[in-house]
Amino acid sequence: MRAVRPTSRREVVRAIGGTFGALAAPRVLRAAEPDLRFGLTPVFLTSDLELLQRLKSRLERATGRSVKLITRRTYQEITALLVSGQLDAAWICGYPFVAYRARLALVAVPIWKGRPLYRSYLIASADRSAAGLEDLRSDIHAFSDPDSNSGWLVTAAALAEMGTDPAHFFRQTFFTYGHRNVIRAVAAGLAGSGSVDGYVWEVMRETEAELVAATRVVQASAWLGFPPIACPIALADDPAIHRLRHALTDMENDDDGRVVLSMLRLDGFRAEEPSLFEPIAEEMRKVRGGSTG
Amino acid sequence: MMPRVSLAIKVPAVAAVFLLAVSLFLSERVLSRLAEIQTAHLVTLTRVYLDGLSTALVDAVLREDVWEVYAVLDRTRQGDGDLTAAETIVTTPDGRVIAAGNPRRVPSASMLPADYPAAETLSGEIVLREPEARAYVRRDVLYNGRAVGAIHAKLDISSLLDERRRVLWTLVLSNAVLTLILVVTAWVTVRRMMRPVAVLAAHLEAGIAGEVTPIPSPAVARAGHEFRRLFAAFNTLALSCREREDLIRRLADEERLASLGRLASGLAHEINNPLGGLFNAVDTLKRHGERPLARATALDLIDRGLRGIRDMVRTTLATYRADGDGRTVDVQDLDDLKILAGPELLRNDLVLIWRNGLTGPVDLPASPLRQILLNLLLNACNASPQGGTIEVRIAEADGGLRLEVADDGPGMPARAVAVLVDTTGSVTPFGRGHGLGLWMTGRLIRDLRGTVEVSRSPSGGALVTVALPLDREGGIARVA
Repeated sequence: MRAVRPTSRREVVRAIGGTFGALAAPRVLRAAEPDLRFGLTPVFLTSDLELLQRLKSRLERATGRSVKLITRRTYQEITALLVSGQLDAAWICGYPFVAYRARLALVAVPIWKGRPLYRSYLIASADRSAAGLEDLRSDIHAFSDPDSNSGWLVTAAALAEMGTDPAHFFRQTFFTYGHRNVIRAVAAGLAGSGSVDGYVWEVMRETEAELVAATRVVQASAWLGFPPIACPIALADDPAIHRLRHALTDMENDDDGRVVLSMLRLDGFRAEEPSLFEPIAEEMRKVRGGSTG
Repeated sequence: MMPRVSLAIKVPAVAAVFLLAVSLFLSERVLSRLAEIQTAHLVTLTRVYLDGLSTALVDAVLREDVWEVYAVLDRTRQGDGDLTAAETIVTTPDGRVIAAGNPRRVPSASMLPADYPAAETLSGEIVLREPEARAYVRRDVLYNGRAVGAIHAKLDISSLLDERRRVLWTLVLSNAVLTLILVVTAWVTVRRMMRPVAVLAAHLEAGIAGEVTPIPSPAVARAGHEFRRLFAAFNTLALSCREREDLIRRLADEERLASLGRLASGLAHEINNPLGGLFNAVDTLKRHGERPLARATALDLIDRGLRGIRDMVRTTLATYRADGDGRTVDVQDLDDLKILAGPELLRNDLVLIWRNGLTGPVDLPASPLRQILLNLLLNACNASPQGGTIEVRIAEADGGLRLEVADDGPGMPARAVAVLVDTTGSVTPFGRGHGLGLWMTGRLIRDLRGTVEVSRSPSGGALVTVALPLDREGGIARVA
């Protein structure tokens, strides 16, 4: 049966963990200490096994610990694992970071085009002439993930400002659990419009130009904090986390690290203040203060 | 049935019609069987496809998860194989679209498009619509035995129809070639078989028109066994016909010689009669030549005798000129015949009543006309009893010439009449010395395009009536 054949390369984004566990990574150190458990959300673009292998090598070398990369289908699962202390660190979205602000600490923030910022895009199919959110009323709208900032919260906050919410403003909404899937849904016409991570959209414009060309950006949000790497607040001063932060911020000085960065189209990682995510917290308050999204 | 169509056309036509009927029947069988096989194959493929799809879709359909349903459809569309699903749509049980493989045409949350068969269509049943080269199939998505949704697939069956069309054309072309080969073969064969018949027919037609000639031996050798026997029989017949014609010709020549002898003896007799008187007159002149009266009487006698001889000789010359002189007949030409018939009349002591109604030349050749009349006259002389009367009438009538010869003999025998009046040339003269003269007379009359009748004369004898049309065309009829 074709429907359940193994996930294709494109879908590894959601399934990194499953495949990664099978990798026989070289052990740098003997497993005297427990593995460093590092969570990845579907923020990830590239699903290359090579990327994961290099990231793992890089982190293991820099931290001196064996690293286990863990992925889940949704943001929510990774966030829950992180908040409950089952992960040492995770690359999550800005929205769960501010939602669980009291229980999480920042490790590092990716730098894209020189800044630790990105935007959310409202996209529609390329042949539509919509100029703003208002023109997308009564669409079938594709969201990325209910715990995603760019793929849900930004649009929900904008609607809250207009005094409405997605369930009423759109005819129908659905979640694709991946930014790339939002672009596919809009390109195929399954959805009339979608909310997507601007960083993902821009990078895919290079890597999958044909797919992205079927869509156009209707509206871009304000610049917001890039999805960060966070850890449970209890581990904030743990030496392992310090080593991890160094491994990330020093990534451009390492062959594997440079390859990882170039694959992700990122400039590097930087330690940032949590206040970087205040605008996202503001949006969350708008949405929660208004109708429940 | 079709009398004007030759066998060489009829046999190939029948063969072509037969083959056409056979090929129509076979083609229909082949095509309908092919359609059955294709449909069965399609049903099997569709079942496999829908089984896989419904298993993959059941969770997503249960949740009405638009993206998951679409993702599954998108993945299956990328699969290849014999089956090409032109469109797949997943709906809720009440027909509302959850997601379609082609969302631009069939958006989510819309109703199932109208071109799909009605919802009453049985689950798994396939609906073929050949004009649009599409097949439709519907399959319930079951969860715990309950239908939670339905998969509607539109299948592209144009490759199946193309295959059917290719088979049809192959059948049509090969049958056409076969039919053509058969027709040509039949035509050639029948023509070869019928060739001896054409040879035989040509010889028979030539025989009717004139001379019967045997079929030459190369043609006989070429013919098949059956026709060789037929040809041999025909050749035997042709030879016997030819022998009979030769015999008749010889008899005619003999008869002509015999009548010439009779004529010669009559002529000698006619000359001999006055010769005695002439010699007497010459004797008288020798002895009493000095006597004016005697001399004058003798000279007169000699003069009359020589005139009689001269008239006799002249008439004979005119009648029996070797070549037809083509001259038209005059009153005198016919009157001269009295002189020729004279010896016969005398011998039988017959009385000749001669009524020549002609007043001037008539546009008919003299020589054959004189022979016709002389033959009839001599025949009447033969038939008449001693001291009988013969009456001859010559008159212009109905734009032609009419001759009547009557005698008071016993009448003409039926066989002689048949020889005389025969127009086909099939009745041949019979017996010795009888009929050949009449046979030649009949031929002469036919050559002049005339008619002859034999009836009873007032005195109970034969009355022969000949009617000859005037030679309007100016040409002279050929004299045999």
